[in-house]
Amino acid sequence: MSNGLQEVTEYSFSKKSDERFKELEKKFPEKNSLVLWALHLVQEDIGYVPEVAMEYVAQKTGVSKSWVSGVVTFYSMYNKKPVGKYHLQVCHNVSCWLNGSDKLEEAIKRKLNIEHGETTNDGKFTFSHVECLASCGTSPVVQVNNDYHEKMTPEKLEELIDELKQK
Amino acid sequence: MADLEKRILLQDVGKPNSHSIDVYEESGGYTALKKILIEDNKKWTPGAIIEEVKASNLRGRGGAGFPTGLKWSFIPKDSPKPKYLICNADEGEPGTFKDRVLLEDTPHGFIEGMIIAGIALDSKQGYIYIRGEFYKPWERVEQAIKEAYEKGYLGDNIFGTQHSFHLATYRGAGAYICGEETALIESIEGKRGHPRLKPPFPAVEGLYKCPTVVNNVETYAAVPHIINNGAKWYSSLSVGSEKSGGTKLFSISGHVNNPGVFEVPLGLPMIDIIEKVCGGIKNGNKLKAVIPGGSSTPILTAEEASKAIMDYEGMAAVGTFLGSGAVIVLDETTDMVELAYRVAYFYEHESCGQCTPCREGTKWVKDIMKRFKDGIGQENDLDTLCDFSQYMANGATVCPFGDAVMMAVVPIVQKFRSEFEARIDNSEDVQHKVSAAG
Ligand SMILES: Cc1cc2nc3c(=O)[nH]c(=O)nc-3n(C[C@H](O)[C@H](O)[C@H](O)COP(=O)(O)O)c2cc1C
Ligand code: FES
Repeated sequence: MSNGLQEVTEYSFSKKSDERFKELEKKFPEKNSLVLWALHLVQEDIGYVPEVAMEYVAQKTGVSKSWVSGVVTFYSMYNKKPVGKYHLQVCHNVSCWLNGSDKLEEAIKRKLNIEHGETTNDGKFTFSHVECLASCGTSPVVQVNNDYHEKMTPEKLEELIDELKQK
Repeated sequence: MADLEKRILLQDVGKPNSHSIDVYEESGGYTALKKILIEDNKKWTPGAIIEEVKASNLRGRGGAGFPTGLKWSFIPKDSPKPKYLICNADEGEPGTFKDRVLLEDTPHGFIEGMIIAGIALDSKQGYIYIRGEFYKPWERVEQAIKEAYEKGYLGDNIFGTQHSFHLATYRGAGAYICGEETALIESIEGKRGHPRLKPPFPAVEGLYKCPTVVNNVETYAAVPHIINNGAKWYSSLSVGSEKSGGTKLFSISGHVNNPGVFEVPLGLPMIDIIEKVCGGIKNGNKLKAVIPGGSSTPILTAEEASKAIMDYEGMAAVGTFLGSGAVIVLDETTDMVELAYRVAYFYEHESCGQCTPCREGTKWVKDIMKRFKDGIGQENDLDTLCDFSQYMANGATVCPFGDAVMMAVVPIVQKFRSEFEARIDNSEDVQHKVSAAG
């Protein structure tokens, strides 16, 4: 791929994910409840859900592969293709917009030269705009992987990006 | 400023380690559960718990405002099937951020509420459905569940009684529609979040085809306080209508000096909340409009907002809803066309796609709003938009999402029509521009 991200062609749970999955199995009377969980684990392992992982999850949870791919395509958090190491997600819903989220989107486009849905060539950053993250009182907000960065300003965001570049 | 606040569910928020079980117990946490199971166990039969919740006038805090005790009474008592409790922590309605505070800063309150509900409804298993983006809140809830198991508040034979209750979390994965209770149930079953046709209602056939109660985080969090202090105390906390009992968490955002989550008695004037609790409008600007209960509730003009009372009946009186209590305050600088576009964009993005009128209609609504945003609106567009209601709302779709779209967008256009009319392009080549814009 042009942006330097590797496609995954073989997959099984990491040791950690396998243990988590076994724990989770005890909590639900029906195995199909584990589909979403298993996909979260896949994503923790490799950052997105490739075809091979869908097959793997189907087999682990006893549902068809089309069930799994239906789920993957329905929920926005499951990445259908590899994403950058840092996924910058800017909320552009009402309250964030009122508090200047447009300027955050511009800062990312300017600094990283990527549009919504794109990844930088070095595979480090992906940018998406997303819907309300329930952080409207401390808006605008940018979610980077699992973390919320609240009351963001373009300056703070650029600093954050510089910091992440060093990592 | 703080006088109007009445912190009951939020009593611990702001204390160091407010999320820990120690802090919760220090302020009386889990005493309601002890009363029910040990100290006053003769009085607190399952039926008595349900009656107390009914008498408290607690209404569902997730958006629809359905009386909680009444909902609980729909669970069949003689069903041989297991009964499930679900806590709806999907919090996706734009403008809403109050459940996040409960999950992150004081999770034991709603956990105790769920255990009590479990006893009342003879349920042995509860699930907390947390939106996928809430990673830290989810970790906090997991930790809280662990603590409650360690203390023996969760598990088999709680305090040596015959009551058992287990609790586990479920993480969503980014879909607003999964906040709708039947879509949420589908999601816990590992499927796409497509709402189900009702009836059967979840109380009869919900999770795994078993009787199920779904309540919002805040609803469960009120329950221990009702048991501890009585239904009368709780219902009289509110200052407005009899039918709206208790306090309510409001998520207030937008153009106010002091945004945030505030717990106040139901029934206060909206204007007092904006002026006194939130420190008024930023930069000394004038109020233009308020979205009172999350993006799905009809917008109010400043004039309407000045008369509005913040409870279920008060909101109905001005033609809107209390919803989830998400108040978005808009000042005079707000571009209403852009607002309508943002709202329409959201609904188009989040339509689950199951019903044709909603899937196609949300796209049309967004496309029309985009034309106005781009200054190439058409003379008949606004009337066409208002006509969509008959196809998308009032039962045309499986769930109320279609209604929500129209309630969100149409009143913005109706109440601020001149701003839209100013973006109509009457030039001869407008059709070209429209086609070019796609
Ligand atoms: C499109 C849609 C989204 C919803 N989102 C939520 C939500 O995020 N959280 C919530 O508690 N209820 C939500 N609801 C309401 C639920 O369907 C349900 O009424 C509620 O969880 C019941 O709990 P309560 O009676 O305690 O309010 C939503 C409803 C619809 C139609
Ligand atoms: S609008 Fe951005 S977090 Fe709610």
